[in-house]
Amino acid sequence: MKIVIIGASAAGISAAKTINVSEPETEVVIISREDSVHSRCMLHKFLGHQRDAKGISFIADDFFETAGITWLNNTTVISLDPDKKTVTTHDNQTISYDKLLIATGAGYFIPPIPGLRESKNVYGFRDLIDAKLLDRECQTAKNAVVIGAGLVGMDAAVALLERGLNVTVIEMTKDVMSLQLDHQAAAAYQKLFKEAGAEFILEDKVVSVDVNDVGRGTTIHLASGKAVPADVIVIAAGVRPAFNFTQGSGIKTNQAILVGDDLKTNIDDIYAAGDVTGIAGIWPNAMKQGRIAAINMLGEKLLYEDRYALKNTVNFYGLTTLSLGNINPEPEENCEIFIREDRHNYQKVVLKNGIVQGVIMQGDIGGTGFWQYLIKNKIDVSDKNKDVFGLSFADFYDLDQQTGEYKYAV
Amino acid sequence: MKRIIIDREKCDGCLNCNIACISAHEEGSNFYTVNLQSPDAETRNFIKFDAGKGYLPIFCRHCDEPECVLSCMSGALEKDPVSGHVQYDENKCAACYMCVMNCPFGVLKPDKKTRTKVIKCDFCDDKPDGPSCVKACPKQAIVVKEVNL
Ligand SMILES: Cc1cc2nc3c(=O)[nH]c(=O)nc-3n(C[C@H](O)[C@H](O)[C@H](O)COP(=O)(O)OP(=O)(O)OC[C@H]3O[C@@H](n4cnc5c(N)ncnc54)[C@H](O)[C@@H]3O)c2cc1C
Ligand code: SF4
Ligand code: SF4
Repeated sequence: MKIVIIGASAAGISAAKTINVSEPETEVVIISREDSVHSRCMLHKFLGHQRDAKGISFIADDFFETAGITWLNNTTVISLDPDKKTVTTHDNQTISYDKLLIATGAGYFIPPIPGLRESKNVYGFRDLIDAKLLDRECQTAKNAVVIGAGLVGMDAAVALLERGLNVTVIEMTKDVMSLQLDHQAAAAYQKLFKEAGAEFILEDKVVSVDVNDVGRGTTIHLASGKAVPADVIVIAAGVRPAFNFTQGSGIKTNQAILVGDDLKTNIDDIYAAGDVTGIAGIWPNAMKQGRIAAINMLGEKLLYEDRYALKNTVNFYGLTTLSLGNINPEPEENCEIFIREDRHNYQKVVLKNGIVQGVIMQGDIGGTGFWQYLIKNKIDVSDKNKDVFGLSFADFYDLDQQTGEYKYAV
Repeated sequence: MKRIIIDREKCDGCLNCNIACISAHEEGSNFYTVNLQSPDAETRNFIKFDAGKGYLPIFCRHCDEPECVLSCMSGALEKDPVSGHVQYDENKCAACYMCVMNCPFGVLKPDKKTRTKVIKCDFCDDKPDGPSCVKACPKQAIVVKEVNL
């Protein structure tokens, strides 16, 4: 059997590894647009000059050779034909498959703001090439503007600050990382970024960008009337699943490639995993989906049930935060909110009818892994009769006598 | 693979396993000289007390399907195909702490001092005489056994 995987990142590589371990005789071809395998989550370390390109790889140097996998890099898939079971690449190769995995992730999106798309010094922060181009700009630029204060924008800001640029972050909402944090937790990060030299313009919107005669954006105009000078602009205003090449193939999409719990698309023998499915935009889930899709392509039946996507960890300037679930409930949701804080910690637990809805743990996040299990599985904690902040796996402690693995007693 | 098997009823909460773990990861120290006040003093195993159930040892299971490995974005956490143990490479780690979030049993933690690495059971690097915590337990509440996967 021949399995073709489009995409050599979290989902694609995890699928390839799984196939290689379970059925090493299966022929695997991985196609990727990029010429390196790297972890996007470490792009800021590359741009900040803490690691080189090799240092942000997440596989062994000889991974493809050792696994006997063919890797077609610098190769973009432009179309696919489910009847003939082939994919076509930008350089006119036609590659046949028995099973196909689409693991093409997502790409950044530049909003249609006058001047923004046209400016040559506007960059996303998604692929290594983006970081390389930004790196080049950093050699001469003084003023950097980051549009969007989500996790990706803040990653870019941290690296640009590291490189000694003046960094201004512009954000529409009233807080940084507003999907992951509440006002207080966000303020703690904002303070650290400010101490590192960043400026923030919150609750404001870019309305236009002045472009000079060599095509570079020079001034960013905001709805408030403010104008911000820019030598280099990073756009971090969201991503879109990348599946242009499926047009006309009959694969069902709705802003993402639609898959069932077996991660198969509506077309037999075509699977999808990772950010391209729109299920979750984070690394662990892309890895898990890649693994499960691979097992299913090999003919077994395993379901992807981990659709819980509201989870993240943040670590900037040594301040760590765990964020899970609904952390900013509306009053009409009638949730109970518990808060505990001291000099080093800010902790918040949102409960409804004994079930944990959301958690913020800022400061010490050691041993907090059990919270995700409680939220995901909607476990009632009211019968524990204890302070919510005292909960741990010990409250659900059980062991499998045979294997010695832990189980949750619920 | 070898796993530390727990008999919780035998545990009486003496915390010798904690001290042995800290000492094993503190260069040049032993059970008697270990500096428990040092900012580097971090235990990889935990004993919790529950009024109903008594002492509950929480040790990394080196799981069959380790969630921590599946969540690692740098390749720092890998399950060794031979020993079955989940090993951690500090040099690869990017301190994103997705693994801390994903260990369902709350075993993992960032280092206290720098928040640049993860504190994780390394099975004492598969030393021939076994993990230090097991040797230090006076009650045989934790013992190494071969388990089939
Ligand atoms: C700056 C940044 C920081 C992040 N930090 C974190 C973090 O700390 N923790 C976390 O959990 N997540 C983080 N994420 C999210 C995480 O990186 C993604 O969830 C993850 O990379 C998704 O993996 P994927 O395999 O689905 O797709 P991607 O990583 O997007 O990879 C897509 C692959 O497909 C290839 N490709 C795309 N189109 C084509 C085509 N037409 N033909 C051929 N090849 C193609 C690409 O070259 C690439 O190899 C971060 C993301 C960014 C951008
Ligand atoms: S750290 Fe947690 S998930 Fe990872 S192997 Fe140990 S017990 Fe399992
Ligand atoms: S903190 Fe380190 S070991 Fe843990 S998931 Fe992130 S990179 Fe991997």
